[in-house]
Amino acid sequence: MLDIRDLTVGFGGDAPVIADAGLSVGAGERLLVCGAAGSGKSTLLNVVAGIVPRLVAAPVFAGSVTFRGRPMAEFSRDDLFTAIASLAQNAEDQIWDLNVEDLIAFPLENRGVAKAAIRDRLQALLTEMELGALRGRRVLTLSGGERRMVAIAAALAAPPQLLVLDEPTTGLDPAARRRLVRLIGKLAGEVPALVMSEQDPAALETVVDRVALLSQGRLSAIRPAADLMPHQAPWIEAGILPPRRKSVPQRGFAAGNPLLTVGRIRTELKRADGRAVLEEVGFELKAGEVVGLIGRNGAGKTTLFQSILGLSKIREGSISIAGEKADGWTPARRARQVAYLPQNMRRILFNMTLTEEVAFAMTAKTGTPDAAVAEKARAMLAGYGLGALAEANPFSLSARQQALLGLACAEAASVRVAILDEPLLARDIEGRRLLDRFLDAMLSAGNAVMLISHDLELIDDVASRTLILEDGRIAFDGATREGWTSRAFRELGWPAPYANGRGEAA
Amino acid sequence: MSALYDLNFFVKLACAFLVMFVAWLVPGWVYGLPLSVLAVVFLWAAKTPGFRAYLKGAVLLTLLVIASWTVNLLIQGMPVLAAVQVALGMAARLVTTTAAFYFVMETSSPGSILAACSALRLPPIVTLVLSLTFGMIPMLREDFERIADAQRARGMEIDAVSFPTRLRFALARGVPLLVQAIRTAHAISLSLSIYGFDLKRKRTTWRNVGLLVEPRFPLKEEKR
Repeated sequence: MLDIRDLTVGFGGDAPVIADAGLSVGAGERLLVCGAAGSGKSTLLNVVAGIVPRLVAAPVFAGSVTFRGRPMAEFSRDDLFTAIASLAQNAEDQIWDLNVEDLIAFPLENRGVAKAAIRDRLQALLTEMELGALRGRRVLTLSGGERRMVAIAAALAAPPQLLVLDEPTTGLDPAARRRLVRLIGKLAGEVPALVMSEQDPAALETVVDRVALLSQGRLSAIRPAADLMPHQAPWIEAGILPPRRKSVPQRGFAAGNPLLTVGRIRTELKRADGRAVLEEVGFELKAGEVVGLIGRNGAGKTTLFQSILGLSKIREGSISIAGEKADGWTPARRARQVAYLPQNMRRILFNMTLTEEVAFAMTAKTGTPDAAVAEKARAMLAGYGLGALAEANPFSLSARQQALLGLACAEAASVRVAILDEPLLARDIEGRRLLDRFLDAMLSAGNAVMLISHDLELIDDVASRTLILEDGRIAFDGATREGWTSRAFRELGWPAPYANGRGEAA
Repeated sequence: MSALYDLNFFVKLACAFLVMFVAWLVPGWVYGLPLSVLAVVFLWAAKTPGFRAYLKGAVLLTLLVIASWTVNLLIQGMPVLAAVQVALGMAARLVTTTAAFYFVMETSSPGSILAACSALRLPPIVTLVLSLTFGMIPMLREDFERIADAQRARGMEIDAVSFPTRLRFALARGVPLLVQAIRTAHAISLSLSIYGFDLKRKRTTWRNVGLLVEPRFPLKEEKR
């Protein structure tokens, strides 16, 4: 069905993003491409999806790409994107301000499908993917995981012959991930071929036949998934945390004084049923602690950090930062003590160079920084591997580089508390190393970190304490590894991390 | 208010044009001012999203129009009272007009506009232009607010500062807003391509469209 030979793609850098890659996917096959962040997965999948070079030009493009026996370039745009449906790594890149039903039905409406048939398809997809509760909502107001599920439903609306999913499980909670895997398993009759990419192969191992590893633009030989999964070396060589790794012992820092106290807050923001998004939420974050925060998509995690920063109003309760009541503080004053790093860093960048972003974190002033501040900013950037990009525009960076920039800014800002919202860079070896560097820097300086993530292995590795937020309330607050056997966790219905064993480093 | 929001986009648009014509046809400030007040009260009563932001903009617009028209007419030799009355009438017309179209913009999602256009079997280019024109402005306004929140979340003091400083910071949001607008345009363009939008093919819609546009898909189990 799809045949790629000698593919080389470059976007003007020193080395091509993809070099001499080849792969083929036949009818009935499901291929998983795994690689560390920046390895070229998205570029490869965009070629498979027909987006590069058809919609996004690449200065360097060589090799042959054939689909159903014909060069892809010979297909009309309409024929090509009817036969191939895709989901971008960042779902925001392909959605706009439509309602949930509008986005799912969009491919069918555009192709003139009759109303009755569209409504039947909507009924089937909303039910199958359990998206009924999101009907009528604007896609851009959904959480990252919800948004991704809706974008996947849109890709499936007109059943394609080839489905291309770039990191489909990113941002999904384990229950949504399980629903997605079940759906992919059922697609065999509807969608003949599937190509996916992931940094975390374990999530999809039950629904793929073959795996290719991508490292620095070079694609390995394709191997049966069952052969590759149990091994450690091939994954480590590709820079990826092995899917069946064991848990690592947690590094201990003694917990000190409370740095952030959330005192039984109730938000003004309400759910559709009229209840407050957060009800009587209370906890402490102490110096030297990494605290994990987990909960279903839509549980209120985003509203929690917005309340802490004063961006969302609270009706009852109080917030204290570093021992002082912060209820009367402006968001900016709170932010000078509490750094927030969202999953999508683009939302909080607004300076024109990386140096200016870090300098802003240090001084809260925009514009060209003075020489001493600029020097410190460049040193901080170098520590996170961004030294060569110091004068680049932050919006030109990849998602991974932006996440690293966020860590550099938070460390430079000398904040007491950092809130990391789904730091996706932690899924590969180098990203985990840089995240560990950040955590060490924060904790050794007597600060604290809150880690919001659906990556339960990451929480298990680094968080000494975990909070479970369920339906706007803290349902569990205790030692992380006790959390996996708690009633609150059982009620989530999620699999506990490291089902394969504990106690040994990867 | 849900039914008002769910009114067919073209019905809302026709009403807005009607209000605008009335605002420009009534003579002077005596009728214009009550009409503009009525229009603003309607926005408030209808719980129009972003009402406070509109109000700030309307106050700024009113002050600028009154000041510039009064000065202009005084230079031309008109008596002060007459000049102020003419300026007031002009400001009232503008407030009424902007209020009417603000309601249409804020309560019509791109999806409901697409549905209304598709139900009328309008050419795809008209559908696209209308959806983007009326759909993008609220999006950009929200982006503007999101950038302000990002600045606050990064420690930039934009609340407890003087009005001129606040205005300067607001202007500084122009560059990231431009970047965001370009990104949005790219996302829309990609979305149209991969989801099969074709200028040569008329669209259909999943919604039932009449005087009202169906806002939400009813699941079968919900109907039972």
